[in-house]
Amino acid sequence: MNVAASMPSAANKLKSTRMAGKLVNDYWEMVWRAKEEGKLVCWYEGSAINPFLEAADIVWVHGEAYSAMLAARHLEGPAQAAAEERGYMKELCSYARTHLGCAVTNQRTRNDTDTGVTGAPDDADIAARLPEPDMIISAYAYCSTGQQWDEMTSRLFGKKIPIFNVSIPWMWASKKDAGYLRGQEWDETSRYVARQLDDMVKFIEERTGKPYPWDRLRELMANVKRASELRLEAMDMCTAHPAPATFFDWVVSIAPINNLPAGPQIVDYFTAVRDEVADRVKNGVGGIGREKYRLFFDGIMNWNKVGWLAEKFARYDAAVVVGRYTHMAFWQEPDLIDARDPVLGMAQNFLICPNNHASPILIELIMDLCKKYEVDGMVIHASRTCRAFTNPQFLIADSASKRLGIQTTMFEGDVTDESFYKDELLNSRVEAMLEAIDQRRLVAA
Amino acid sequence: MSDEIMDRFRQVATHPLAYAQEWKARTGGLVIGSFPMNFPGELVHAAGALPMIIQESEEQITVGHGLLFPFYCGFTRSTVDQAAKGDLAVLDAIMFGDHCVQLLGAADAVRVALPDTRVIFFQLISSMCDPWTFGRARESFMELRGELEDFLGRSLDDAALHGSIAVFNRNRQLIRRIYDMRTAGLAPLSAKQMQYVVKSSMVMDKAEHTALLELLVAELEERVPTVSRALRVHLSGHFCQAPKPEILDMIEGCGAIVVGDDLYHGFRYISTDVDEAGDPMDALAKWYMARNTGVPCPTRVQNDVDWDGYLLDAMRKEKADGLIVLMAKFCEPHMYYYPEVKQAFEKNDVPHLLIETEHESMALEALKTRVETFFEIIKRRQAARPLELQAS
Repeated sequence: MNVAASMPSAANKLKSTRMAGKLVNDYWEMVWRAKEEGKLVCWYEGSAINPFLEAADIVWVHGEAYSAMLAARHLEGPAQAAAEERGYMKELCSYARTHLGCAVTNQRTRNDTDTGVTGAPDDADIAARLPEPDMIISAYAYCSTGQQWDEMTSRLFGKKIPIFNVSIPWMWASKKDAGYLRGQEWDETSRYVARQLDDMVKFIEERTGKPYPWDRLRELMANVKRASELRLEAMDMCTAHPAPATFFDWVVSIAPINNLPAGPQIVDYFTAVRDEVADRVKNGVGGIGREKYRLFFDGIMNWNKVGWLAEKFARYDAAVVVGRYTHMAFWQEPDLIDARDPVLGMAQNFLICPNNHASPILIELIMDLCKKYEVDGMVIHASRTCRAFTNPQFLIADSASKRLGIQTTMFEGDVTDESFYKDELLNSRVEAMLEAIDQRRLVAA
Repeated sequence: MSDEIMDRFRQVATHPLAYAQEWKARTGGLVIGSFPMNFPGELVHAAGALPMIIQESEEQITVGHGLLFPFYCGFTRSTVDQAAKGDLAVLDAIMFGDHCVQLLGAADAVRVALPDTRVIFFQLISSMCDPWTFGRARESFMELRGELEDFLGRSLDDAALHGSIAVFNRNRQLIRRIYDMRTAGLAPLSAKQMQYVVKSSMVMDKAEHTALLELLVAELEERVPTVSRALRVHLSGHFCQAPKPEILDMIEGCGAIVVGDDLYHGFRYISTDVDEAGDPMDALAKWYMARNTGVPCPTRVQNDVDWDGYLLDAMRKEKADGLIVLMAKFCEPHMYYYPEVKQAFEKNDVPHLLIETEHESMALEALKTRVETFFEIIKRRQAARPLELQAS
């Protein structure tokens, strides 16, 4: 099914999420002004260490967020081209490739390296506007790519930028007492990560030349905790039939919870979101025009196609009500955070990123979500260059089918490289899955 | 004699699981598999079991593609395929600690495919120059040792570990001797034969392997050096699986000899010994760190060593004429670092060629054309150098 641009939208997006657009724009403007304003800039990937940086008045740039922003605006091309000219191959994580392309472009505009064939960027080239870092912090759970990406960024800048690594181990969960948020492995690994975060703070102090402002971190984390609670409250309300919001509303809400300034505005944002969701539940308003199917979305987002996919599923009358990327990430355990002494709780939230539990625990969490939201089917985004997410997907599909009897389907795509997305495959596979769901319902009736 | 020894190495290298079966039947012992790259087999050896590094199979991947996607490296897909087909049933347990995202995915799939096989993992720190790197590496090896003891139902004592370290060191030293002899033209081993030597060491009982190596080295040392006029080539890449022998044959068949490498199934595996004095767990942690300082691997991050610099040095020491980079398709660590190598080699005007290799069949004739052209370019550039420089 092709989505005609002239047809009215079938996706009934949350209106409150429009605020996110302004918050995001304001944040990136802040980033682009950083050097003019004499601010230190930190590049980081993976774990949301930004409150640590914000507290110290360092401007933070989350590599994935920058790449996602470029892709969502369909401006990723020049950065990816620059990366390929440098020698980074297409099969590399496209988040990394896009961000490294920004670094390559940055080097070229500063005439620090040999020129390539891309040419000088113009003002519209957002990739070229990313300010170079004064420090790099790598704190990446599960995916080895993240740490290697940061190391290569450091080398692209001639190893002149100080770099700090926080190692966040994968939770293999083989000990007898292992479980979600419990067990010896959990306790010891939490403390290991927390100790490194304390050392990271010392690194920040060395960069700023000032004592670390712990009070400011506490203040920011209090906001993050509250924002998270509101977000989870709103998500929980989507167990209603029809679901008042969809996975795509939560995708749009990632930036406010993950990498935007953690001032009171994020509490305001999620308060507005929660209130709108509550209102929709009260009035029986759904996140799509007509909810005939409820789906789980596994995999990372395809940032070139957010709106496209939201509309597509809505036109299939399929409410994507829950997903691993949105519901098992981004400060999803706010109760762990003690705002008065936040480091351990932050470390623990970093440990529970959506990929960082091995399959025994990961699959249980996903099955629980499928039951909670009463899903009929599962759509799995096999992101070509994000193997962190694709690793357990066959295991997840198998469990969903055998344990819960729900239909699954997969489609190819990617995080920020549009060339890997195959629209017709998605169409035919989703249609087949929905037909299978219809058949099951007929038989059950 | 050396032909017989090489043939034995070839047999084991090409049929590793068959060797494991035969060893088990012969000794009644346990076989513990490990994934590449840094798991210390000494721990398993000290426990009286056979440590065996799991190898990529030559078979096409079939059922494995129901567990891992086709856009994963050949090693991970092959390992999962072997597990799903039951080929790894000979292993009594699998142990590893390395952090590569595709390896982690493979481990999860193997755990599901082999529910009755204990898979033991504790993540090794991959950031190599942090103040806590040594401590964490030691802790990781202690955890792995503890799990191994739990699995076997007995403790592993330090004296046994010291003994195993000595055995492994001797094996590594002998293979390094062969490497030195090959570089100096004293050991006419092809790249494929060298791979058999190293790969069989990854699989065989170390004492058995060392006994054969001693004989081989003694025989090679009695040989008269041969002078070869072929181009001298260094091979680089492949951090987990062995390059296919036909690629190695093809490269040498185009008129080169491989005088050095930093392949995992090559110098990388045997580059570094473990300190035989002092606390053995300290020694293993230091070995883990020293391995990467000695032969940097892009699967680790270590800002104070440069793999590109290492390669340029290796080229000089080996008097190599050109570098051939063998990149396993979908190997992310290699894809990340390769532009640095490319830039360094271009800047230093050292000829190099990138070949992307695959688990599935490759168009060897097309690769051969590229390699032949590469060698022609090297020869023309050498011929065009001023006479006094040609002599140097």
